[in-house]
Amino acid sequence: MSMEDYDFLFKIVLIGNAGVGKTCLVRRFTQGLFPPGQGATIGVDFMIKTVEINGEKVKLQIWDTAGQERFRSITQSYYRSANALILTYDITCEESFRCLPEWLREIEQYASNKVITVLVGNKIDLAERREVSQQRAEEFSEAQDMYYLETSAKESDNVEKLFLDLACRLISEARQNTLVNNVSSPLPGEGKSISYLTCCNFN
Amino acid sequence: MADSLPTEFDVVIIGTGLPESILAAACSRSGQRVLHLDSRSYYGGNWASFSFSGLLSWLKEHQQNGDNAEESTASWQGLVHETEEAIALRKKDETIEHIEVFCYASQDMDDNIEEISALQKNPSAVTSKPLDSVCLSEETNSLHVTSSETHAKDTPKSDEEISLEVTDVEDILAEEKCCGDKTCINTASGGDKDENKPIEEDNTDQPKRNRITYSQIVKEGRRFNIDLVSKLLYSQGLLIDLLIKSNVSRYAEFKNVTRILAFREGKVEQVPCSRADVFNSKELTMVEKRILMKFLTFCLDYEQHPDQYQAFVHCSFSDYLKTKKLTPNLQHFVLHSIAMTESSCTTIDGLKATKNFLRCLGRFGNTPFLFPLYGQGEIPQCFCRMCAVFGGIYCLRHKVQCLIVDKESGRCKAIIDHLDQRINAKYFIVEDSYLSEETCSNVQYKQISRAVLITDQSILKKADSDQQISILIVPPMESGTCAVRVTELCSSTMTCMKDTYLVHLTCSSSKTAREDLESVVKKLFTPYTETEIDKEELTKPRLLWALYFNMRDSSGISRSSYNGLPSNVYVCSGPDCGLGNEHAVKQAETLFQEIFPNEDFCPPPPNPEDIIFDGDDKQPEALGTNNIIMAKPDSSEENKNPESPENHLQN
Repeated sequence: MSMEDYDFLFKIVLIGNAGVGKTCLVRRFTQGLFPPGQGATIGVDFMIKTVEINGEKVKLQIWDTAGQERFRSITQSYYRSANALILTYDITCEESFRCLPEWLREIEQYASNKVITVLVGNKIDLAERREVSQQRAEEFSEAQDMYYLETSAKESDNVEKLFLDLACRLISEARQNTLVNNVSSPLPGEGKSISYLTCCNFN
Repeated sequence: MADSLPTEFDVVIIGTGLPESILAAACSRSGQRVLHLDSRSYYGGNWASFSFSGLLSWLKEHQQNGDNAEESTASWQGLVHETEEAIALRKKDETIEHIEVFCYASQDMDDNIEEISALQKNPSAVTSKPLDSVCLSEETNSLHVTSSETHAKDTPKSDEEISLEVTDVEDILAEEKCCGDKTCINTASGGDKDENKPIEEDNTDQPKRNRITYSQIVKEGRRFNIDLVSKLLYSQGLLIDLLIKSNVSRYAEFKNVTRILAFREGKVEQVPCSRADVFNSKELTMVEKRILMKFLTFCLDYEQHPDQYQAFVHCSFSDYLKTKKLTPNLQHFVLHSIAMTESSCTTIDGLKATKNFLRCLGRFGNTPFLFPLYGQGEIPQCFCRMCAVFGGIYCLRHKVQCLIVDKESGRCKAIIDHLDQRINAKYFIVEDSYLSEETCSNVQYKQISRAVLITDQSILKKADSDQQISILIVPPMESGTCAVRVTELCSSTMTCMKDTYLVHLTCSSSKTAREDLESVVKKLFTPYTETEIDKEELTKPRLLWALYFNMRDSSGISRSSYNGLPSNVYVCSGPDCGLGNEHAVKQAETLFQEIFPNEDFCPPPPNPEDIIFDGDDKQPEALGTNNIIMAKPDSSEENKNPESPENHLQN
């Protein structure tokens, strides 16, 4: 795929406790699949989906944790150069919500200040087992200056919306940055976030 | 932590330093079930890098090391069966000694000296500065003319191409002056843009100096990524080759080292090493330029001209250089800054080192070295990510109490962790520092002397740009001591806050780190004191903060020096003293091939782009995106690198 195939490239990184459905969200969005075949994620670093927003091609590179969240051992480099973070919890699991401040601390320490963070409550198809109310999550996300959305990877509820809204925000943020700086500085994710050493893989 | 660790693996790896991490990636990549553990709360062991506050806690932990009484015999002994015996592992890290910290920056405390929080997105007191550095984008075959000659070092791999996107005029100037600092890469969103600038704009033509206080350092502590080891990547070195081959490079970003410096007669000067440098040099006379070019060109293929050096193979390299009509400063440049050898090294070794330096020139830029953004500590983590992507399980803060050895076979079969859990595996890889005193009682360790300095200016100021990455070799002051390697990092390497420099000093120890390094520190820097601030003649950079420590060098130890290790337990060493990472890569590859002789070492993984499902593209028109300005941003037009000075020695 050559550089001319898209107008924007954004790196989106998923975080959150194990088992909240991060991989399912990615697979649902990129492949329309649920549940993802077990083991199929082995060797897959990130998933790619190119979407068109108002006539512009936006390439989303979506990174998953590779299981390192299981024992709280995510590498710092995972957060570097992400344009957006999707912080996910499971609405049927209080514990996954209670861990959010801990995740925010990691973000604070390793991610860029400019990163856009979205809070996602997944598994709304299991509404009868809900442990975290929408209101609590809304309050929390507001206090932390995050966008908030509830999804179901299983029923495909809000999954497209999550990624496409995020793409829109990233585009407008990128535009704003160019306006503010009043120079033709590169927009986030326009191919710079991946080291030149690997560029042979991205052409 | 509700999740419990699986108990069956093929390979258990203890320690997350560079060799262990490379091995983890290689094993996992070849289909082994890998468990990778570290007793610490961070990745990298002695290869780690820390924020300023992280470093302070690391220091605290190691300073307390001594007064820690041995814990009573652990509970695991009841878990060892009759047919087994246990090899206890070390409980406390003992690789760091002689820590000394000096703070020179003013300690007038502001009220709130906490690290600035990223959550307060735009702290009002802080003005942010627009992106001020050069960004590069990957381009398809737009640059870098490939030459099919043998010295086609300008072209790394068929189509790894780099082009410049210059963000403003200032940068264009800077860029031209430093002859194509071609590989500095910035993340578009992260990178410099998000660096807050707490201090007034500093005009380079005005020698006004900023006063950085200790509380500012603490407040901006998150901006620091301070490496425990100071290394660089040779652009033709084993690590770069492995990063590219295995695709692990996609997890990291690099900058080119911009200057090679020399310290001669009390002065720091820049060493011209590429053809462009030599011709642009103001320090060299025309005659010197010609002589140096001739000599360097000869070194590139010295093997072809045995007549030129045959008579001197038994001489030292420095004596040989004297016969080549090189003036004393050229001799100094070649010996210390280009070959980077000791004066006593032989002619052949010196020529070899010079050739190696020259062939690394120009692959990615004007010097032979790269530095990873956010510090060397990123590199082991990148390999760990690769391991995890292929199913490896990661667990920091996980101590291992002992190895369990089957008496009959003499092979290690399991470990017992700090939760008294038994974890079985076929192979065990352990980093040296985890082995007990008993296991290591016959091992003679070398030591590395390290200093880490935070300073307010570069050791060689240049009007064109304050964003330089420099390496300087200071020759031994007296015989019997070692040359000291100095690496100076600017803030755009993402290792220190704006308006500071992070300086690493390294040498192999003869005494404590301070005794070994302080004389060099004093020659290059002035301690920060209030009284001196107003003196205009003060030209040396000021020291704001300094740390000295000794680190154990466990490289080059033969396996047989360790007592009673089962045959399926392999030992990785901690960081060595060398500039490159060749030792770690070689060790990882050697051990991997010993364990899995028929497996490929870190082959490229499948490209994630090959598994795209383009799906049925939904039209996202109903998404409320109407308010987006539809003008195409000008930056999307390709800004081709204007005239890249690619005049390196090898054309």
